[in-house]
Amino acid sequence: MPPFERSQNPIPFKQRKSLATRKQEVAGIRSKFPTKIPVIIERYQREKYLPPLDKTKFLVPQELSMTQFVTIIRNRMSLMQSQAFYLLIDNSGLASMSLTMAEVYKDHKDDDGFLYMTYASQEMFGHCVKNRSL
Amino acid sequence: MTVIRTAVCCSDRTTGSSAALNMPYPAWTRGIPPVMEGCFSTRAQPSQPLSGRPFSSSPGGPEHICFSSSPKPGTDSDMGNQLRAIKQATLTYDTLRFGEFEDFPETSDPVWILGKEFNALTEKEDIFSDVTSRLWLTYRKNFPPIGGTGPTSDTGWGCMLRCGQMILGEALICRHLGRDWRWVRGQPQKEEYISILNAFLDKKDSYYSLHQIAQMGVGEGKSIGQWYGPNTVAQVLKKLAVFDSWSRLAVHVAMDNTVVIEEIKRLCMPWLDYGGGACADPQGGMSEPNGCLEGACALAEEETALWKPLVLLIPLRLGLSDINEAYIETLKQCFQLPQSLGVIGGKPNSAHYFIGYVGEELIYLDPHTTQPAVEPGEDGQVPDDTYHCQHPPCRMHICQIDPSIAVGFFCRTEDDFDDWCARVRKLSHSRGGLPMFELADRQPSHFSCSVDVLNLAPDFFDSDRLERFFDSEDEEFEILSL
Repeated sequence: MPPFERSQNPIPFKQRKSLATRKQEVAGIRSKFPTKIPVIIERYQREKYLPPLDKTKFLVPQELSMTQFVTIIRNRMSLMQSQAFYLLIDNSGLASMSLTMAEVYKDHKDDDGFLYMTYASQEMFGHCVKNRSL
Repeated sequence: MTVIRTAVCCSDRTTGSSAALNMPYPAWTRGIPPVMEGCFSTRAQPSQPLSGRPFSSSPGGPEHICFSSSPKPGTDSDMGNQLRAIKQATLTYDTLRFGEFEDFPETSDPVWILGKEFNALTEKEDIFSDVTSRLWLTYRKNFPPIGGTGPTSDTGWGCMLRCGQMILGEALICRHLGRDWRWVRGQPQKEEYISILNAFLDKKDSYYSLHQIAQMGVGEGKSIGQWYGPNTVAQVLKKLAVFDSWSRLAVHVAMDNTVVIEEIKRLCMPWLDYGGGACADPQGGMSEPNGCLEGACALAEEETALWKPLVLLIPLRLGLSDINEAYIETLKQCFQLPQSLGVIGGKPNSAHYFIGYVGEELIYLDPHTTQPAVEPGEDGQVPDDTYHCQHPPCRMHICQIDPSIAVGFFCRTEDDFDDWCARVRKLSHSRGGLPMFELADRQPSHFSCSVDVLNLAPDFFDSDRLERFFDSEDEEFEILSL
């Protein structure tokens, strides 16, 4: 299996579409699926270890727990349990795993009506000594 | 039909050096003069003749430049701050030895080191004695080649491996000598202490040697010489601890920022039949109270018959490029818990072992000093001067910390673990600070990577059963159903 392409980072969803378009999308999908939550999941721009997801937009049952949601995403990427995977809500904090999607949505939904999440693993630490002339 | 990608992250072949080239530094580090970035000194290539190194600021001694303080984010253009930072930061090992170091701020702020509180104004000696007593694991050179033909030095790549050794070394000190044990230079070495040092000597058969860690990392997708993250080294230590029949530690790495109490009790008391619901009562009625936990005594053998001493490591990511400031108070609180083993993490690219804080500064041990490998003496004693940091510890502003960390705790008894749980719960209910991780009584459903879950997941995505919704740009929603 060839390694995933790391070079191409798609333009973030928010920058691809205007606020009006995004609002319209949320209104459309919410009217059709009132009990599901529109979620945008994107890979951290500098992520080097986790593969990209083939989808950005998810409609998630509101009663799904964060644990279940993370498990679905982890399985999708075929990650081992020992591999680091973090979902940061709104580019800032880790979601509490016991919360439901509805609870997370209530506290963190964007002005456009989507819930934004970014996934990342961990940074690696070391020095590129070769480039230093000490 | 949805195609599920199966690329696994360990297929990544990124090498250390190319990752460094691509690693963008936050704006505030770019403002730091080059001399302040240098905590490293020798080239990584083990084949290079070591005698030919151009850098020799302190002949005979470890080459070392360390941070004492750095500009806060956003103030890098402030000349005054920079000059002050340069003045404080260009201290070498030698200047420290000559006592020109303004060691700790004259502050009434409490100094917290691994769960102990000190007063910087009146207890400076105690602070240094405590810091010096921690094991200081650094880059080494001239050790036997890893795997027989591999590197003989870890300069440039081993810093996170060394930090992993330091946090585990602290656990072994707590386990065998007690948190209040103190190192005194030149004192006769206790048998337990010699065994701890032996566990970290740079040779293939030490329990937690660099050799063992680097080779066990291959199973985590890291070839020898590749850089590690906090989770990588935590996973490796967990595997290595199984072979340490002397310490009989239970090393648990809590994934997905969640600590599952039931999982830990099963791990530390494997001989108990843990029926469903046993965790409802946190005391469980399982063991006699272990009595006074305070004090410096080592763990008695009979205690391990009740509970395998727990090393709990929690790898986290507290932000994307910078730490989310909402976590700063909670991070500080970690160092106040009596069970604290500190935090492994670092600044971008440089791993550090954080052991405490004062005010807004983290106190850390820095592995970025290359020292010659050490052989045990003929009398069984180990020359240990280079295993203790004998200058005032480095400090850095807490906002500089890279968001990828692993927090560590040591719980010697079940009571100790229950106490830790109670303290963590109390903290999460108190004001200020966002909790960094969550405590759960038992495994939530679909939590583990069980066969059930693996079989379940495709159902969620069974596109035949699901309605599809197409938007104007043909970018469809993935619809999950229960």
